[in-house]
Amino acid sequence: MRHWRQLGLLAPLALAGCSTDNIRLFHPDGVMGGLEFHYTLWITGIMLLIIVPTLLMTIIFPLRYHHTRNAKYTPDWHFSAPIEILAWVIPLGMVVVLAYMSVSAIYRIDPWTAPALASAPGAAQPPINVQVITTDWQWVFIYPDQKIATIDDLVVPAGRRINLTMTSTDVMNGFYIPQVAPMVDVMPAMISKDAFEIDHPAEFTGFSTDFSGAGFSWMQFKTRIVAQSDFDAWVKSVQANPDQLTYGVFTQKIAPAQVNYGATPSYFSVADTGIFGKVVMDAMNGKTYPVPDSLTKSVASNEGEAPASTAAK
Amino acid sequence: MQVAVDGPWTPLLGRLSLEAIPYTNPILIFTFAIAAIVGLVVVGSVLYFKKVGYIWREWLCSVDHKRIGVMYIILGLVMLFRGFIDGVMIRTQQAIAIGPNSPGYLGAAHGYLPPYHFDQIYSAHGTIMLIFAATPLLTGLGNVIVPLQVGARDMAFPYLNAVSLWLTVAGALLCMISLFVGEFSNATWVGLMPFAEMSSNPGVGVDYWMWALQVSSLGTTFNSINMIATIVKMRAPGMGWFRVPVFTWATMATAIIGLTAFPVLTAALCMLGLDRYVGTHFFTAGMGGNYMLYINLFWTWGHPEVYFLMLPAFGLISEIVSTFSSKALFGYPTMIAASLGIAGVGWVVWAHHFFTMGMGPNLIGFFSAATMIVGIPTGVKAFNWIFTMYRGRITLATPMLWAITAIVLLLLGGITGMMLSASVVDYTVHDSVFVVAHFHCMVLVIGAGIFAAVTYWWPKVFGFKLNETLGQWFFWTFVLASVLVFIPMFQAGLDGETRRLDYLFDTSLRPLMLAEVTGMGMYFVSLFCFLAMLVVSLVKREPAGQDPWGTARSLEWLTHTPVPFYNFAVTPQVHALDELAWRRANGLEKAQPERYVPIHMPSSSGLPFIIGMLSFVCTFALVWRIWWLAGASLLAVILLVIIRSFDKNEGYVLSADTIAEMERKLHTVSLIAEQSKVLPVGGQVEAH
Ligand code: HEM
Ligand SMILES: [Cu+2]
Repeated sequence: MRHWRQLGLLAPLALAGCSTDNIRLFHPDGVMGGLEFHYTLWITGIMLLIIVPTLLMTIIFPLRYHHTRNAKYTPDWHFSAPIEILAWVIPLGMVVVLAYMSVSAIYRIDPWTAPALASAPGAAQPPINVQVITTDWQWVFIYPDQKIATIDDLVVPAGRRINLTMTSTDVMNGFYIPQVAPMVDVMPAMISKDAFEIDHPAEFTGFSTDFSGAGFSWMQFKTRIVAQSDFDAWVKSVQANPDQLTYGVFTQKIAPAQVNYGATPSYFSVADTGIFGKVVMDAMNGKTYPVPDSLTKSVASNEGEAPASTAAK
Repeated sequence: MQVAVDGPWTPLLGRLSLEAIPYTNPILIFTFAIAAIVGLVVVGSVLYFKKVGYIWREWLCSVDHKRIGVMYIILGLVMLFRGFIDGVMIRTQQAIAIGPNSPGYLGAAHGYLPPYHFDQIYSAHGTIMLIFAATPLLTGLGNVIVPLQVGARDMAFPYLNAVSLWLTVAGALLCMISLFVGEFSNATWVGLMPFAEMSSNPGVGVDYWMWALQVSSLGTTFNSINMIATIVKMRAPGMGWFRVPVFTWATMATAIIGLTAFPVLTAALCMLGLDRYVGTHFFTAGMGGNYMLYINLFWTWGHPEVYFLMLPAFGLISEIVSTFSSKALFGYPTMIAASLGIAGVGWVVWAHHFFTMGMGPNLIGFFSAATMIVGIPTGVKAFNWIFTMYRGRITLATPMLWAITAIVLLLLGGITGMMLSASVVDYTVHDSVFVVAHFHCMVLVIGAGIFAAVTYWWPKVFGFKLNETLGQWFFWTFVLASVLVFIPMFQAGLDGETRRLDYLFDTSLRPLMLAEVTGMGMYFVSLFCFLAMLVVSLVKREPAGQDPWGTARSLEWLTHTPVPFYNFAVTPQVHALDELAWRRANGLEKAQPERYVPIHMPSSSGLPFIIGMLSFVCTFALVWRIWWLAGASLLAVILLVIIRSFDKNEGYVLSADTIAEMERKLHTVSLIAEQSKVLPVGGQVEAH
């Protein structure tokens, strides 16, 4: 994506001394992220066409018509049909254009179906399915086709379409890898979806965006896009892992506790492909993972353990 | 079917016990000490100067719209200060707790606030700033200005007006007492569901938040009814709908939103209350509950609520831009249309707050386009202000500086709002601090409008101007602080910093956080300038005339400065939209009335204050589940309402002689009473 060069337009937003290098969203990656950024630039740019002159007038008129300037003064001039019509028609025209862009964008980017990915190179191969489950306060990734699972580590191959199916054990969370995939809420007793595709190896940090309790600030996961061969090798090694994730193990592993958040990733082989469905059904039937007051009070305070640190930028 | 609670419960004290008092927390002990000292000084000086009777009779029992307005504004300023301190704590925590090696103090692993405290602080910050600072400030300004602008003696229901005030105070008290007794909600100002349910939030925090919102929103609903009645029924003779001043129009639009939107919040909070107290499953994830229902209901209120705050600010800006441009407001009819349009469209855009929840492209497309439509009337307003300034004769006094800043901020908030309303953009920055920066821009528009208005109408209410030099210092330091805090916040949002973080794992955000915390320091400087401005102006007290700005245009400037308690000696006859400007042009602004007629005034009453305090006791008891106390105080409120309804007191009448005597003392007499023969007693003249 070369769009970032057009960003001279947004220069006022960047504080003196900070170039756009420091701004993640100006460096999108992959099909979905690139599309989002493309629309962001267009939408912002179109608005600037109107906002900038308006801004200039707001600042210049008070100076130009300052009482010391003896400029032309028309105290009773308070209506002008042509100006009023323009005042309504210009924003209207802009809104029509913007609304058209926004609506057509959502039909390309809709995270549930990700139509934009249908024409991406990865469409030639079957997608990689990952089930995402958020807990208090970790990320569980289950690969139903590969029969493996990880906690806090999302590893996917480059050049393939990644389909995410998401749910939460207890409260709402948000799935977010800036630059890469649309932010989507992860909700208990419901299933939400997201998708992305990146054609080269890369690393990102993903995190939760919707506040979910005391451990929320530490709720990150590594995102590693690796070459297909590396992915295959990684899958094999995890499959050989003697630690099995069953539903019983799952409910123990994810019970809200001090030790959970910021933990180093763990890996499992999975025989039971129904875990995700059980999580959804259990939540619908009223299962919760209550967070006791004492836990909320002790997270990241000296009453509890210091949280382990996770990935930095 | 009562929900079992964590921890002990006794019939006498409910969940309340000594453990509820956080006497081990140094920050809270410090806060308590300060609050206690300030409280003692205030109470002590009231006692020392023997002012108890005065305060009780003239303020706490007052039903005078100006006094109530001033009390609303004082409440708003006190809560603004509390919310500001919360903001300072949020910013300093985020400036320290960056990266795994960041230091920890006062028992926190990083920074000095563990998540348990931090989460309460920002939840309180949002709730307080919107509900207990911005709302009372605007309601207070409306209270002071609207009856004067329509030439009325008071609000339509003066007694209900006092009840609204004291209900709002009850909510604010509840927020404040949660500092020292128990805890506040950590579920953010919006009340995240199902997180705010019992299973994730078994403590009393969410209950505090819920009841504070509930009782104050009752007050707001009453106030909206009152405003609508006042504007529809109490306009002076000659004031047709197209002669209603633009701020009054904006208040009308706002009151319509208030009356229609707040009941939605009341209903949603009732359902949450049932979930938390009785164990129903309205908003739980399982058992047939649906938390998305809550999110929809909340924003069905929440989005109109942001315009509920914004529209009066637009009205204030319109008045001020026109006054200080010495020119009639440009495009008055389209201004009104735009206000009503914003109020109307604001009803069909609520889902833009949860594009990420996945409604499917059809609905998202609809809500995205609908949200953008709000940009049209907003843009119209900006153009009209600009063309009011065009070919004007502009004085850059403090109110005008604030108003111009408000327009600039509106453009910045508007462009970012329009970006967010495109779901494709929202997918990248929703729940990031970009959104936080967007709405703080917008809230700063409201803030700038309020500061402009306070400076502008201050002399009318108190009889002397605020110090101009210090006012400008306050303005410039405030603007500088806002730039330092919020411009880096936009950048941090584009960098993917999410909201509500107690700890930042991304160390590259450090420079931005330092800039923001510097800005908070700057706000302290501006706070100092503000206080200095108040003190210096109070000491100097340079008397202001009838129209201290020289170019004011609307009806309220026609009467004496400061306004006597009966507002206008004679109900004014209105000839034009800008009545004062019209009279000035016709040399009538200082004309004397031919004769006076008796005035019907409402009697003051201590009941509203007592009802408010009992509501506070009732909600406090509900928070702690002290059933007997809650029941008793609720019963007392109901009894008081019944007793009041048998009260035959219909106010009192000021005789024409008394008025003439008082007017003579006021020296400058200002009104012409062309219509004195048809003036009915009481000033309640049917609108034309
Ligand atoms: C041109 C007009 C406006 C547009 C198009 C607009 C658009 C939006 C959108 C789309 C969001 C959702 C962002 C997200 O959560 O991802 C939002 C959030 C918000 N807006 Fe605006 N907005 C406008 C004006 C205002 C005004 C006048 C206010 C008044 C104070 C305001 C206050 C807020 C608040 C408080 C939030 C965030 C609430 C929260 O999540 O805590 N906005 N705005
Ligand atoms: Cu909104």
